[in-house]
Amino acid sequence: MKKVIYLFVFMVGFLGLSLFSSSSYGANTIKIGIVDTYSGPPATMSQDVLDGFKMVVNEINAKGGILGKKIEFVTRDEKFKPDVGLAMAKELVLKENVDLLMGTISSSTALAVSDFARKEKIPFLVTNSRTEKITGEKGHRYVFGIAENTAMAGRAAAHALSKKPFMKYWIAGDDYEYGHSIAENVWNNLKALKPGVQLLEQTWWKVGESDFTPYITQIMSAKPDFLIAATGGATMVTFAKAAKATGLISRIPMYQHTVIDYGVLGPLGADGPEGVYGTAPYLFYYPDAPANKAYVEEFRKAYGRYPQMFALFGYSAGRLIERGFQKAGAVDKEKFINALEGMVIDSPVGKLEMRACDHQLQLPMIFGVVKKSPQFKDFLVAGDIVMVPSKDFMPKCEEVLKTRKE
Amino acid sequence: MDLIYAIFSPTLMSQIFVGLSRTVILFIVASGLSLILGVLRIPNIWHGSLYMVGAFMTFTISGAFGGGSVGFWIALILAPLGVALVSLIAERSFFQHLYEREHLMLLLLTFAFSLVFGDLVKMVWGMQYKSVPVPQIFQGSVHLFGGLPFPLYNVFLLAIGPIVAVALWLIVNKTKIGKISRAAAVDREMVGAVGINVSWVFAFVFMIGCLLAGLGGALVAPTVNVSLGMDHTLIMEAFLIVIIGGLGNIWGALLGALIFGLAQSLGILIWPQFGIVFPYAAVIIVLLLRPTGLLKSTW
Amino acid sequence: MTKNTLGGKGRIVGGALLILLFLSPLFLPRFYIYLVSIILLTGLLATSLNLPLGYGGIFQFHHAVFYGVGAYGAALMITKSGLSPWFGFVVGPLTAAFLSLIMGLICIRLSKLYFGMLQISLGSLVWIIAYRWYSFTGGDNGLHGIPVPNAISSPNGAYYFTLLVTLLSLWTLHKIIDSPFGSALQGIRDNPVRSAMIGINVKLHQLVVLVIAGFFAGVAGSLFIVVDTAVFPDMLFWTLSLEVLIMCLLGGWFTFLGPMLGAAIIISMRTFVSGFTDYWTLPLGILMMLVIFFLPNGILGYIEEKLHRNLIEQTIKES
Repeated sequence: MKKVIYLFVFMVGFLGLSLFSSSSYGANTIKIGIVDTYSGPPATMSQDVLDGFKMVVNEINAKGGILGKKIEFVTRDEKFKPDVGLAMAKELVLKENVDLLMGTISSSTALAVSDFARKEKIPFLVTNSRTEKITGEKGHRYVFGIAENTAMAGRAAAHALSKKPFMKYWIAGDDYEYGHSIAENVWNNLKALKPGVQLLEQTWWKVGESDFTPYITQIMSAKPDFLIAATGGATMVTFAKAAKATGLISRIPMYQHTVIDYGVLGPLGADGPEGVYGTAPYLFYYPDAPANKAYVEEFRKAYGRYPQMFALFGYSAGRLIERGFQKAGAVDKEKFINALEGMVIDSPVGKLEMRACDHQLQLPMIFGVVKKSPQFKDFLVAGDIVMVPSKDFMPKCEEVLKTRKE
Repeated sequence: MDLIYAIFSPTLMSQIFVGLSRTVILFIVASGLSLILGVLRIPNIWHGSLYMVGAFMTFTISGAFGGGSVGFWIALILAPLGVALVSLIAERSFFQHLYEREHLMLLLLTFAFSLVFGDLVKMVWGMQYKSVPVPQIFQGSVHLFGGLPFPLYNVFLLAIGPIVAVALWLIVNKTKIGKISRAAAVDREMVGAVGINVSWVFAFVFMIGCLLAGLGGALVAPTVNVSLGMDHTLIMEAFLIVIIGGLGNIWGALLGALIFGLAQSLGILIWPQFGIVFPYAAVIIVLLLRPTGLLKSTW
Repeated sequence: MTKNTLGGKGRIVGGALLILLFLSPLFLPRFYIYLVSIILLTGLLATSLNLPLGYGGIFQFHHAVFYGVGAYGAALMITKSGLSPWFGFVVGPLTAAFLSLIMGLICIRLSKLYFGMLQISLGSLVWIIAYRWYSFTGGDNGLHGIPVPNAISSPNGAYYFTLLVTLLSLWTLHKIIDSPFGSALQGIRDNPVRSAMIGINVKLHQLVVLVIAGFFAGVAGSLFIVVDTAVFPDMLFWTLSLEVLIMCLLGGWFTFLGPMLGAAIIISMRTFVSGFTDYWTLPLGILMMLVIFFLPNGILGYIEEKLHRNLIEQTIKES
């Protein structure tokens, strides 16, 4: 019947439309495909990565590009859905013919895309997912970890906490892989460094929980010495408010990874959780050195705000791409990977090395306490800063490679 | 004797009170949803977006007035009104033409609206997290039950809840327009036949329902991260509460919210890992025992 | 009354389309083969939803549960048991059908909106289990790199497998709808009271429909594993159920091929609109509004109606 004809014409029409949507980039560009979540709570973090990356790309292109070719990049919003993210990664590689993949904040998508990148033999730079599995258990030649992973953060925190007098601990957090991973890493390493510590209990709430008061009262009634709060980025603002309202922060010392990030303290303003310990790989006001200051100034001019820690990941990705292709001498994926292994790049926080054995970028970790700032009136900052160099907390190569074999 | 102490332990009492204050937001949002579903027979998925818009508007309005306590109180009044205005425009332009259609169509239309608004909020307000500070007089907490803290803002919510409930009940049962709405829910044609402009009655009800969603968003704003994605967090829970409470029934929404909120906070005490299961289990039990909801519904 | 979707000219065009589908790996670039595979299996999912929804009049609000359970069932069978992966593709749909039976027995006593909400509550429990049980289901990460049998692991292999299974499933579903059972089902949809009075066991029919629908949703889930070698807890979430509902609505939920068309439209939109802008839900929302207002029977439904009317006018003219 005619309707089948209609259906047919319709489908062909749609497919035809796609030919127009396909970008007509010539052979004279290096094409990067970025899959990330630009909707919902994680969007602000992904946007920060992208902004950091764009700044470097603009700078590179102004100088004429790499090997005479400009960098083009395309973004895709997966809306935190792994099946969509995977489909978009496939589209970028198979249809848009990108030379390189970047992304994503969703660990689930990152792992799925990593698997795809391995099969397609295309380099994949993971800019924001924190699961240690990316370069650990599920690591391989074609994937590179840029963001600090939970193993790194956990170790750095344990390193600092082991020097403190607390003995009775409570662990609470978002009930998903990131939360559990951070908590486990902090706890296992802490116990190794200080065998006397005691874990009283664990509390886990659903991701996106908006009312923490019942959990907090439960924790407070048990009176632990210290609370390890394994919360994800979006939860932190809400948790900080609840912690302040219930007086948790004045009663029980706490640690949260990334709580000192500007992305958390900025929106909270004066409501920030004073006295809470935290770690983060980057703070825009530390070190107060010329390189960092210049970078922050440039960022502010371009985007009208201070960079969060995620901008550093975007920046690093851009630099790695630049130096990687330069060293490879050609837009060749295999040569690029070889060039990246062991590469050292300059950054606002000094030199960073892309470790060859597991493809993890070695970032330093900043450990600090949330405090009022004499310099910034609108929000709180990290004080009593200790910069832990990466060699003090990176898991050893042998350990990491062992997990891959299992 | 020990058992009584155990039952009325500080932790338990604390959890109950906390569950109750959480209930208030759920109740306010769910009551609006219940009204719309009960009277207009629209399963309003757009409700979640309006809750989110209410929170974002509170941020903007309170910021425009200095960002302090005064700003918040002004926002608490203006934001829900703003949401009501938006909903009125939507109702007059789109929804009113579809009342004769099937539920499923209306549900999907509201879903379409929520898709559009999800992106609109991103366009207007951007992606960064927003925070609304708790007004001065409600900062800090009061110490009940064995020294455990109960945030003052939650006390405020516990006070607001019954006020809203009573106000709604008065509007729906004691005012003329309330009675007309209830009649129109049951028999629209009859009401039209006696010369009342049913169309505007429906518009009024829709507005009130959406205003409640905005109010919920405004009230919750100081306690949470005002961010994209808020529209999804509450909507499923609100629907379940409406269903178990009885469609169009304000007290049903209150009862449903109580069950839901308390099940969650008590569940946390019993089984911390899977506390989230308890409210859903409660819903399932209620639906199996009383399929049409606990209290009388309008249809 | 079911419409005969293939008659006369229709058979020729339908046949041509089929030949095109079978030959496409020869001329279509790899990405489009992947895309068509996804469209086919999602279309199958939507068609399986339409069985209770459009033909049965049941408010199946959480169909994605069966899709997800089918996928997880197959994935877990392949990765955890030592048996041949082909078993997985049988176990997946059977698990989904079994779950459908259990949930159906619980929900069937309710009707309309209440049925839908109860199904959502039960389905949410399933989602919670999949999401939290890290050691078994991979938790919020899901499972990746599932070893699919070599014969169907290549993109073309996966495509042909998907095509064959989808066509077979569609044919089976069409036969079911055209059968006396299918007629009874539509009778129940249109007038349950009268159907009961002429001796049809309403609840039994509805339960059978749910199980069948669940089974084929599980088939679609297993196909997803073949194409993408991964499962995610997202596949069990209520937002996916709503998306599949939209596909049925867009395409036309009183037609057989409508849901397939709806799936094609939504997936294409998602893929290609993303090429232009990050805000792809906005155009989707607007498209939905247009369809709801102007084409309430969906696109295919509208086309069919128009053709039907033309046919009648033509017949009148000729007489």
